[in-house]
Amino acid sequence: MITELLEALLLFLTFLITAYLIRHYIFTLKILENHKRNKNANGMENVTYQPTVSILIPAHNEEQVIGRILQGITKLTYPKDKLQVIVIDDASTDNTGKISEEYSNEYPYIKVIHRSQKEGKRGKVSALNAGFKHASGEIILCFDADYYPQRDIVEKLAKNFVDSKVGAAQGRVVVLNEPQNIVTRLVALERIGGYCVDQQARDTLGLITHFGGTVGGFKREVLESLGGWDESILGEDTDLTFRVYLAGYKINYVNDADCYEVAVKSWRAYWRQRYIWAKGHMQCALKHFFKVLRSKNLSLKEKIDGLLLLNLYFMPVLVLFSWIIGGSLFFLNSSSWFSMVWTSIPVSFSFYSFVGNFAPFFEVGIGAYLDGRTRAQWLIPLLIFTFLYNIPICTKALIDLLISKIFRKNCNHWTKTVHSGNGNSYITS
Amino acid sequence: MENGELKIDHLVFGLLMGTDFSFSLWYFLKLLDETILTLALFNFLFASLIFPLNGALTKKIFILAIGNIIGLVWNYLFYLFAYTAASSLGNLFSILYIILSPFINLIWIVSLWAISLTMLASSKRKVEGEI
Repeated sequence: MITELLEALLLFLTFLITAYLIRHYIFTLKILENHKRNKNANGMENVTYQPTVSILIPAHNEEQVIGRILQGITKLTYPKDKLQVIVIDDASTDNTGKISEEYSNEYPYIKVIHRSQKEGKRGKVSALNAGFKHASGEIILCFDADYYPQRDIVEKLAKNFVDSKVGAAQGRVVVLNEPQNIVTRLVALERIGGYCVDQQARDTLGLITHFGGTVGGFKREVLESLGGWDESILGEDTDLTFRVYLAGYKINYVNDADCYEVAVKSWRAYWRQRYIWAKGHMQCALKHFFKVLRSKNLSLKEKIDGLLLLNLYFMPVLVLFSWIIGGSLFFLNSSSWFSMVWTSIPVSFSFYSFVGNFAPFFEVGIGAYLDGRTRAQWLIPLLIFTFLYNIPICTKALIDLLISKIFRKNCNHWTKTVHSGNGNSYITS
Repeated sequence: MENGELKIDHLVFGLLMGTDFSFSLWYFLKLLDETILTLALFNFLFASLIFPLNGALTKKIFILAIGNIIGLVWNYLFYLFAYTAASSLGNLFSILYIILSPFINLIWIVSLWAISLTMLASSKRKVEGEI
């Protein structure tokens, strides 16, 4: 009885892994097809739409980078009379507030909100909600303090909102400090696969485009109707993505709206960052799974893609689980028909549904090729190890989440990624 | 051929070549295990995703052929190693084999994939440079 149950479970896991593989294969083919037809653009090239825009920049102890992003903001080509920039100085103990004030004094469209030790330090989401109260623009964009925006990024993002069905728009994140070390190079490859192929294909195929939490924004009325950011959840970006789609809107992805980020540069920082992402994503899966299934605003393909996206961070844990089941079945002398499955399991794994941040190697490779990379391709085999690294990260995130659910403890301990400002040296002008 | 345009004729040819390689391995070498499945899927992925990219057809066929040879030799050597190890280590090795063999195969497939994309990306840059 136990053997049959384990066999059925292993079959189910194989099916899941294969589903992700097929999904990513379709994404990669779609991007190649787009490339052939020169359809990388999203049809918004000739649209001129310039609504009023508020940019929110939450910042807690960001003195190393806040000047850089504000300098970038002053170079934006968007009409300044339609632009409002709000820096939310979230109880910083360094010079973040002072530097922001200097910019605010010089550029009237930059506003600084200072949050005290008492009201601040509750995380990025809380800071964003505080900033949103002061925002007056029709479009609300969010940038992390360590990002460096392209000069015309606001135009590229804002014009998407001319379509009444578009509730949010997402730009592309490019790693600024890619040459720094092996970690930053691998993160850059993950980003290429994730944005150049994954996000772009989902947008083109009319699936669930993921709002990444930064380098993007919302229509004000949509964000208001959704009640802003949910402070009870760590994965606020994924949460908002699904709330936007469940409310009947869609998210546009804009591949040429580049914004430059400073990637984590050590394995320890990578762990911390991915742990938060994994836990937040899992919280969203628990929150939205049945809502997605029951939604009348989502088509069947959006529901399938939405469920796969929601459960993405469970996959490393399930892969580990399938190995354990496979090993157990070997000792339990599984039935003869099971030998067929034995072959399919390793082959499913062999085709490597996941490397790095859970995309197959061929997707990352094609993304890098289309992005004009040559030498970066050599590092793709190393992404296998980042996936292996993600197994304990996601497993710990899941265990912690389950413990907090069972014992009803607050598990939303927000950990800030420290930005040293070393990305400044990669900016040439 | 315009810059950025993908090559459908190469794609069709690649799929035919990939099928031919896989069928030949299965029919002539009587391979019917993980090796043939791995190589068949490698051929399918390579033909459908690499052949449409810019670059000389001969270069792509060469890499595909090299891939099949490497895969075959790799799997054969690994099979010999596994056979020897299993006879002395028993069930413990079998477990390791089940878990590790996909990763062992992954090493050559992904490496070859990376090399071929590097070569084709260099061709693409040259074409762009000429334009």
